[in-house]
Amino acid sequence: MATPEAPITQGGRLSDWFEERLHARELFAALLHVRIPAEARTYYLGGITLFLFGVQVVTGTLLTLYYKPTPDTAFDSVKYITSVVEFGWLIRSVHHWAANLMIIFLVLHVVRIFVQGAYKYPRELTWIMGIGLLGVTIGFGFTGYLLPWDQRAFWASVVGTEIAGGVPLIGPALLELLRGGADVTEATLGRFFGMHILVLPLLLGAFLVAHLLIVHQTGLASPKRPTPRPRAAAPGGDAQNEPLKPFFPNYVLDEVIAWAAMLAMLVVLASVMPAGLEAKANPLETPPHVKPEWYFLAAYQLLKVVPRDVGILAPMVGIALLGLLPFLDRNPEVRARKRPLALLMGAVVAVAVVGLSVWGYYS
Amino acid sequence: MNALPRSADQAIRVIRPVLLAAALVGLGLVLVQAVAAADPTPAPSAGPSAPPAPGASAAAPAQESCLTCHAAIDNTQHDITEQWKISVHGQNGIGCASCHGGDPTSDEVTVAMSTSAGFIGKPDRTMAVSVCGDCHSNVERMRQYQLPTDQLSKYRTSVHGQRLLTVQDTRVAICTDCHGVHDVKKASDPTAPVFPLNVPKLCASCHADATLMKPYDIPTDQYQIYETSVHGQALLVDQDMRAPTCASCHGSHDAKPPQSSEVVGVCGKCHTATQALYEQSRHSRLDVGPKCWTCHGTHDVVKPDESRFFHPNPPEIDCTTCHNPGDRTLILSADRFTNDTDRRCDTCHHETSILYSQAEGIRAALDRANAAYQSAEERIGEAAAAGMIVSDADVTLSEAKTSLIRGRAEVHTTKLSAVAALTDVATAKAAEAQAFADAKLQESASRREAMVIVLAIIMVNIVALFLLRRGIHHDEGPAAP
Repeated sequence: MATPEAPITQGGRLSDWFEERLHARELFAALLHVRIPAEARTYYLGGITLFLFGVQVVTGTLLTLYYKPTPDTAFDSVKYITSVVEFGWLIRSVHHWAANLMIIFLVLHVVRIFVQGAYKYPRELTWIMGIGLLGVTIGFGFTGYLLPWDQRAFWASVVGTEIAGGVPLIGPALLELLRGGADVTEATLGRFFGMHILVLPLLLGAFLVAHLLIVHQTGLASPKRPTPRPRAAAPGGDAQNEPLKPFFPNYVLDEVIAWAAMLAMLVVLASVMPAGLEAKANPLETPPHVKPEWYFLAAYQLLKVVPRDVGILAPMVGIALLGLLPFLDRNPEVRARKRPLALLMGAVVAVAVVGLSVWGYYS
Repeated sequence: MNALPRSADQAIRVIRPVLLAAALVGLGLVLVQAVAAADPTPAPSAGPSAPPAPGASAAAPAQESCLTCHAAIDNTQHDITEQWKISVHGQNGIGCASCHGGDPTSDEVTVAMSTSAGFIGKPDRTMAVSVCGDCHSNVERMRQYQLPTDQLSKYRTSVHGQRLLTVQDTRVAICTDCHGVHDVKKASDPTAPVFPLNVPKLCASCHADATLMKPYDIPTDQYQIYETSVHGQALLVDQDMRAPTCASCHGSHDAKPPQSSEVVGVCGKCHTATQALYEQSRHSRLDVGPKCWTCHGTHDVVKPDESRFFHPNPPEIDCTTCHNPGDRTLILSADRFTNDTDRRCDTCHHETSILYSQAEGIRAALDRANAAYQSAEERIGEAAAAGMIVSDADVTLSEAKTSLIRGRAEVHTTKLSAVAALTDVATAKAAEAQAFADAKLQESASRREAMVIVLAIIMVNIVALFLLRRGIHHDEGPAAP
């Protein structure tokens, strides 16, 4: 479906100067000038997530200029960023909100793919890369949460790593690996910071490139008809009669409008509800209600109501099953109305996760 | 063919020393066990010159013979032996004969419980005090337990002891009423009746009993009143062991109501800083001056606030309310301060007096500081609710609070200048904190104004992009998602 479209046009003198040296026109044409199904309904969710990641890279880099990752200095440096550095509050608040929105839009993107059956043949690899991206993004949230080193950050990380410590067999080793010792200390802060600004960005970048390249190679899915498997009798498939539209500029322009709206939302959130800071972390003083970040609330609540091993293994098995979804659901049908069982199971999981999160929030 | 026997031979050669070593170790263990069984006496804990442990010499073999018979007599006797076993005495080998006399080494009842062997049976209430006192006032005996030995001498000075020893009033509390009889526990044991958290209930078990107290004509509502006081709440509700029990003010073995002249010292035992301030006051220099109880009460101490200065409507007082008509010396009748609402400055100081206006000045200084503090606190709350970081304001506000608390305590000096010096600092610090909060609120407002401008710019962009989009879709055909 990803069919190179317009001929490579001549540009200005400067453009030609670069073209003679880079030979990039053909590459960009191959990347951008493709056609996508006119019926595709992406709701721009993946693109918005990409945009938010871009925001995180920019704001995160700026924050790193002032942030100091040691227990003695972390809290004060974040306070300094928030109250003294010019526009520091804005950068930090945007980073804070974009992180939350990124997880929201990533989950919505997964839901959209699920409902439209877009994980099916031939997009299994795209889906697996996507679940990898989800994992890395949650890793970003987990490691980033500790960095301000205030009471909330510290104790949420204590609870979070404690959950990891409950994994059967490897739990104690995993706990020590995450914390860099028995407790949440300077070692934990150091490795969380390292993970957050180096390991996870590289990992996310790799997954993202793979994800986007495969999307480019397989093209966008049509929510109405499955991509046919090549048959010996009819090589080349039979989707040629599908209505198409240009990816660039039409789709890209729509995406940019969505990004602008998202930027507006970030500006409002950062201005009206700027990122706060509690008292400096005190390992000797446990606050009364320690809770993890909202996206861990479902796992946290599950742990409280089922046996420990079940509570720890269930989310892991759930994520693994989610990753293997294209191989478990062999039904070629993509229309939601014709897949009542899959939709029902998805709805049950969604209700359970939302219900547990709400329960965890109010518990 | 030869390979197998040769390797078996080698194996035996390797195993032999191991078997030999195992046999030797086993033999050693058997010998150690045998020696231990043959010699039941434990290793000596002290040198031969060490004095014998008090009580223990007669005790160790002794209780055996008492318990053997008494545990079998009836349920009551059985229970007594069980109580004794877990008591602090039982745990330390202080046996029956230590209190009841007799010869515990004999299993003949006529010998063991003969008066010639010193058997006294159940000591009566007067005798019980000296039975306990015999050991507990003996410094030599108590040294090993690191216990004080002044209980008996203190008891003799207490209301309880004086009534028992002078008028043989056996209804008063004796040692066993508070500590138990056979089940005496350490005072540090949370289940002991004399454990601080249990003391008010223990005293109330007699003092709240109207029948028991009738002959003495004393009130029985102290526990009920104490229970609702700031002290009672701290001890009984918050389980705060620092809070005073009955014994903290009245004494335990030397229990006696403190005299008015002693009250300042009694309260000052905990309220040290307040006592020091009070002693700078004119009040403390008067022979019949107001003491702690005059303003705060006794069993009914409540958390004080600024309403403690004046009655809502000044009471009717004249010169003779507080002064002897003849020599004009002060009278301070306790009855006038029974009711908490009457423990006010204007109970003594007439509203036209100079001292009344001094009290008014002190009250006004505190009110100013309080108002400034509350206003700053409210503003900081608003700034925090707007998502602003207000830690600078919080630090300054806590400085204001420190000065305010010190200013309130300074009231005990009755000196306006001393109070005002601190409340002025509190007011200034509160104003500074409020200025911090105001600046934060101002910044929050500017952010929102800037937000509107940025939003407008983004909107213009979006509109422009929509126009561009319309142009493209017009050219290209079907609408996008």
